[in-house]
Amino acid sequence: MKTINLIIKKELTRVFADKKLVVSLFVLPVVLIIGIYTLIGQMQKAMLNDIEKHTPIIYIQNEPEGFSDYIKTTGFDAEITGIKADDSLLDYKQKVMEGTIDTIVIFEEGFLDKIINYKEGDLIPEVKTYYNPSEDYSNKARNQFVETVLLTYQKQLLSGRIGNLNNILVFNIDLNPEESVIIDEEKATGKFLGMLLPYFITMMLFAGAMSLGVDAITGEKERGTLASMLITPIKRSEIVMGKLLSLTILSCMSAAVYAISMVIIMPMMLENLSGGETEGVVLTFSSIQIAQLLVIMLVLVFLYVSIVSLVAVFAKTAKEANTYVSPMYILVIVAGMITMFQKGDAGLFYHAIPIYGSAVAIQKLLIGELPVMAFLTTIGSTIVAAGLLVFIITKAFHSEKVMFNA
Amino acid sequence: MIEISNLTKIYKLSSKQMKELKTKKNIKRAVENVSIVANSGEIYGLLGPNGAGKTTTLRCIATLLKPTNGTIKVSGFDTVKNSEQVRENIGFLTNEIKLDPQFSPEYLFHFFGKLHGVEDKIIEERQEKLFSYFEINDFKDKKIDELSTGMKQKAAIAVSLVHNPEVIIFDEPTNGLDIVTARSVIDYLKQLREEGKLIIISTHIMSEAEKICDRIGIIINGQKVADGTLGEILTKTNSKDLEDAFFELYKEYNKEEV
Repeated sequence: MKTINLIIKKELTRVFADKKLVVSLFVLPVVLIIGIYTLIGQMQKAMLNDIEKHTPIIYIQNEPEGFSDYIKTTGFDAEITGIKADDSLLDYKQKVMEGTIDTIVIFEEGFLDKIINYKEGDLIPEVKTYYNPSEDYSNKARNQFVETVLLTYQKQLLSGRIGNLNNILVFNIDLNPEESVIIDEEKATGKFLGMLLPYFITMMLFAGAMSLGVDAITGEKERGTLASMLITPIKRSEIVMGKLLSLTILSCMSAAVYAISMVIIMPMMLENLSGGETEGVVLTFSSIQIAQLLVIMLVLVFLYVSIVSLVAVFAKTAKEANTYVSPMYILVIVAGMITMFQKGDAGLFYHAIPIYGSAVAIQKLLIGELPVMAFLTTIGSTIVAAGLLVFIITKAFHSEKVMFNA
Repeated sequence: MIEISNLTKIYKLSSKQMKELKTKKNIKRAVENVSIVANSGEIYGLLGPNGAGKTTTLRCIATLLKPTNGTIKVSGFDTVKNSEQVRENIGFLTNEIKLDPQFSPEYLFHFFGKLHGVEDKIIEERQEKLFSYFEINDFKDKKIDELSTGMKQKAAIAVSLVHNPEVIIFDEPTNGLDIVTARSVIDYLKQLREEGKLIIISTHIMSEAEKICDRIGIIINGQKVADGTLGEILTKTNSKDLEDAFFELYKEYNKEEV
C-alpha cells in the first residue's frame, strides 16, 4: 500500500507540476463550456427576441366586410394588405416562399353571404391560408393569426347564427388549465435532467480518463520511463494499481471540473429552452442519493480507467492507443444515449451490464427511484468487470512482449 | 556474483519484424547457450558488435526478460523465480530506460530510493555522496527535460545507484558522453570495484574494455566465442591487442553463420 501511495503521489505531481497540462485539463474545459453555452444562449435569445419583435406581414384576398375592424378588436398587430379578387396568387406564393410575405389568407368569394344565408345541406365556406413552416416569421404569423383572429371570428359568427353558444357546447374542458396540472416538480425536473445527465456524466468521465490514461501508460512505455520502475523490487501489480488509482483521481477531478461548469451553465441553458421560466428546475437530493451517485460514479471511473489502460498497455505508440480508444469512447457515448430513450423500468438484468447499468442507475437515481438491489447489482458488475481488466493489465505488465516489444 | 548457465533467448518475430530483418524464419536466436560466471570485486565486460546479444543478456540478468532456456542467478537468487530479490540487489542502467522528463534528479532520487525501500536518512546520505561525486548539485532541482545529455546520464547513474546495489549492470555506460564525463563514470566504476561490487558492462569500445575490464567475454551472433582476462584472450588468439583479437574471432565465427 505504501508503494502504491508513492506511485499515486508521483503521478499526481507529474500532472500538477506541468502548468500546460493543468490548464488544458482543468481550466480550458470550464472556459470553453461556459463560453460556448453563453454564446449559444445569447444567440438563441436574440433569435427569439427578433421573432417576437417582428410584425407579421399578412395578405388577405376577399376580405369580408368589417373584418379589419374585427382584427383591431382582437389586438392582433400585423401589417395587412389586400389582394384584389381577380389577382393571380402565383407571385404572392413565391413571396411566401422567399419569406417576404408571412401569410396569405383567402376568404371564399361571398364568404359572409354564404354564412348568413346558410341552409341545412349547403356547403360551408372556407378560409384558406398559405404559409412557409420553414420560416420562423411565417410560422408564427400564421399560428397567431389562426388562433387569435380566425378562431374567435368563427365563434363570433357562430354565436350570431345560433345565439347562445352553450346550446352547442354542452360542456367545458378545463376552464382553468393551470389548475389541472398535478405534477411532482422534483420528479419532472429530475426526468429532464435524468435524460441528459447520465449521458453527459458517462461521457465526461471517459474523456478525462482517455487523455490521461494514454499518456500515463503508453506514453511512459514509449519514453522508456516505465521500465525504470520495472527494475525496482516492487510488484508489478503495485505499479498497475498506483497508475490506475492516480488516473481515477485525476479523471474524477477533471469530471468534477466539467460538472461544475455544467452546474454554472445549466440555469442559463434551461432559461433559454423554457423561454425565461426557471422555477421548478431546482434539483434536490437526499444525502443517501448523493452518496449512491458518488459511489456509482467512482467505480464507473475506475472501470473506464481500466478500459483505457488496457488499450494503452497493449498499444505500442500513443498514436496507436488513441486510435483504439476512440471506438470505445463512441461505445460509451452510445450506452449513455440509449438511456436517454429508455422507456419504462429497466429490470435488474440491465444493471448487471457494465457501463450501461451505471448509466441506467444514474438516471433512476435522478428521478429518485433506485432500489437497493439495483444499486448493488450495478456496483457489483462494475467492480467485477474492472477487476477482470486489472487482472489482464497486470498480466500484460509481466509480459516482456508487451513491455519491451521483445 | 552472477552465474549464467546455458542462457538461450529466442524472440518470436512478427511478420512485420521478419520483413524488416529480411528473414523467412519467424524466430530469432538473440543469445545461444551462453554461460558466464562473474564475481564480486570485478568488472566484467561483454564485448561485441551491435546486435550480437549483449543487451539481451544484460536484460535477462536484470529480470526484464525471461530466458527461453538456461538459468541466471544473481547473488544466489534466480532471475525468474526470485525476480524481486534480484531487483533488490541490482542497479541497471541502459539507454532505453530513461528518467521521467517532468521531474528533477532530486525528486527521482528520492522516489526510486523509496521504491527500493531505502530509509529517508540513508537516501539523504547517498544523495550527498553521489550528487557531489557526479556534480549533480548544480542542476538537482531542474527538470530532466531541461538537462543536457551528459547531465541526464549522470542523473540516471546516480538514481540507479540509490540503493547501493551489490551488482551493477551497465549497458554501454559511456555511450553519448563527452570524454570528461565518460572518464568520471569509468573512474566511479573502478571505485565501486574497490568497494567489492560486481560490475558487468557491455561495450563495443575496445580501448574501454582493455582499460577497465578484469575479464572480458566476447559475444558474436549470440554466442560467447571467448572469455577470460585480457592476457588470456590475447594468448588464445595470438594477437597484440584486443582489437586484433576481436577481429580474429570475428572472422572465424561470423563466417560460420554465413
